[in-house]
Amino acid sequence: MTLHSKLFGAASGLVVACTAFAAQADVLFWSTQAKPVEEAQAMRDQVLAGFADVVDYQPNDGGPWITRLEAELQAGEGSIGVLGALHGDFSAMNPDDLMDLDELGVSAASDTFNSLGMLGTDSVQYVPWMQASYIMAANVEALPYLPEGADINALSYDELIAWTANVHEAQGRPLFGFPAGPNGLAHRFFQGYLYPSYTDGVVRTFASDEAVGAWEAFRELWSHTNPASTNFNILQEQLLSGDAWIVFDHTSRLAQAFNDRPEDFVAFPAPAGPTGRGFMPVLAGVAIPRTAPDMEAAQALIAYMLEPETQLATLRATNFFPVVDVEFPDDLPPSVRAAGAAVATMSASPDANPGLLPAGLGARGGDFNRVFVDAFHRIVLANQDIRTVLDDQAETLAAIMEDTGAPCWAPDAPSEGACPVE
Amino acid sequence: MTDTVAIDASADTRKWGKVLYVSTVVFLCAWVLVPIYFLLINTLSSPETVTSFPKPFWPEFDLASLTFFAGFDGMLSALKNSIIVAAMTMVMSIVIGAPAGYALSRFEFRGKGTFRLLILLTRAFPLPLLALPLAVLFIRTGLDDTAFGLALVHTTLAIPFSVLITFSLFSGIPIELEEAAWTLGCNRLTAFQKVVLPLILPGITASAIFAFVISWNEVFAAAVLTIENRTLTAFLLQNLNTSPLHLKFAGGFILVVPALIFIFAVRKYLFAMWGIANR
Repeated sequence: MTLHSKLFGAASGLVVACTAFAAQADVLFWSTQAKPVEEAQAMRDQVLAGFADVVDYQPNDGGPWITRLEAELQAGEGSIGVLGALHGDFSAMNPDDLMDLDELGVSAASDTFNSLGMLGTDSVQYVPWMQASYIMAANVEALPYLPEGADINALSYDELIAWTANVHEAQGRPLFGFPAGPNGLAHRFFQGYLYPSYTDGVVRTFASDEAVGAWEAFRELWSHTNPASTNFNILQEQLLSGDAWIVFDHTSRLAQAFNDRPEDFVAFPAPAGPTGRGFMPVLAGVAIPRTAPDMEAAQALIAYMLEPETQLATLRATNFFPVVDVEFPDDLPPSVRAAGAAVATMSASPDANPGLLPAGLGARGGDFNRVFVDAFHRIVLANQDIRTVLDDQAETLAAIMEDTGAPCWAPDAPSEGACPVE
Repeated sequence: MTDTVAIDASADTRKWGKVLYVSTVVFLCAWVLVPIYFLLINTLSSPETVTSFPKPFWPEFDLASLTFFAGFDGMLSALKNSIIVAAMTMVMSIVIGAPAGYALSRFEFRGKGTFRLLILLTRAFPLPLLALPLAVLFIRTGLDDTAFGLALVHTTLAIPFSVLITFSLFSGIPIELEEAAWTLGCNRLTAFQKVVLPLILPGITASAIFAFVISWNEVFAAAVLTIENRTLTAFLLQNLNTSPLHLKFAGGFILVVPALIFIFAVRKYLFAMWGIANR
């Protein structure tokens, strides 16, 4: 053996050893959640540091997230070990691209969540990871203007409108804040809150007479809404800056306000309409793509994410609540206590009307959201006739439903085949 | 009589012209500097001050936001990757772009018009559209997750600019200069080296800066094509839009400063490209 071949052998051996080591040491956690820098840091330091292997936690925007994943699936090999994303992200994927996770034996406490995780198949495609919801929050300065006899924990939409009107009149400027910005989550308000509360449905009742009433009420609410709301994406900023006193948003998008100045803000349930107190959960899950380099490590990581201690650490890091049964300690951050209490009151209220996340829409989920956002733009911002707009948009909605064949979800009554727009 | 009026009028015009000139300069400077100054103030302020209004004019030198990023895992290696990728992009876009610009300006060949159009066309397709097939190809060829692979993509983005800039530079240098050099004993290469190159060097540097900035600011391809070797923009930018306000400012500051320092360091070449003498 010449010196050259010896050297070559040694070098290639080293390379093989290095790559093997690299593949073993790192599990790449490719996530669309816990994106803000502070949350990402907390995920790395406080949640994933306890796992046996090194986890490379990489939070991404939706675009790069799905593009990279698609590329790895097409190439047939990849580096992503575990996927973390919202239910909507997973439901837009082909279930065949995700490993079946039945053998793992971990699941959420809620059967509804577990069945959502099957994505319409017979086996577990993603394991529920964490949950959140949307709530209301207010500056304590707004509390004196509550209409007489109104209970902040059991508001109706009429009382909310009266309240925002009082604040508007007293302060001389509209102070309701609504996440209607380009990255705001306004569509969830219409799908999970306004429509269920006024029409007891989302798809079936989209263009009903009750829906016209809902939009009339929202139009009135908008007249007391800070018009800059079309630029508001994350309402904790406007709560802290004083641009909005009463707001609606995702629990984790309000967290900083409660954590920075816990004395100044209160959290409370969403209001109720004629058909109950509509509200909607947010569900994130973890899954393994079929191209994961190290299946065992990825499965172990998913099992680790579902352990009660990890779930509590995740709660502290991200303000998303556990999906398994845990005992809450006393020293939780103010945002968690405030939001947790509001969500609990909301779901335990006698008129609660919980809705589910849109399901079965696949890649058309974005178009579905668009229907509601467009209706909002035309009815509220452009002041067009409500009946005309709803009839227009109903056609688009019906086409999406027929195209995907998605059956109705709560609070719509169940359907045979695609959910009809009535 | 009419003469003095005319002189007065022209003096008046000149005075107003000067006022207009100065105020335009001040306005343009403020246009650029005020946002950067506010970025600096907010970076060096506590979270409470950042969300309050009106803003203080002097920063309070609260380093909490910057300290957070100092402890943020992977910042330094991301910064290093950004510099490596940007430097490779700079070199490659010049090595490929400058000869193309020279050929376009000096030679007539079939399909020249089409070629010029094709070069511009590389900017016609949005990256999110190209990223998927590119990533598949990169994974298959092993270019995936390397600084070189990403630099290749950034070079493609930068080449239209480097070709166009160098094309106009070469066109601005009379061919007679080169011909004179040939008659004095130079061949094509040495004439280029001794006569043309010194004249266009500042312009080349300017187009290199362009390439640097393009690479520095690119997010989508970087986020899809790198995982372990992320660039600073890919690493930070997409996480900033949902972050609290004070961290947005600090993160933005961190992203802006290295590029500013770089441009400041090579500013005289930029001025040279715009026809202002080296000072």
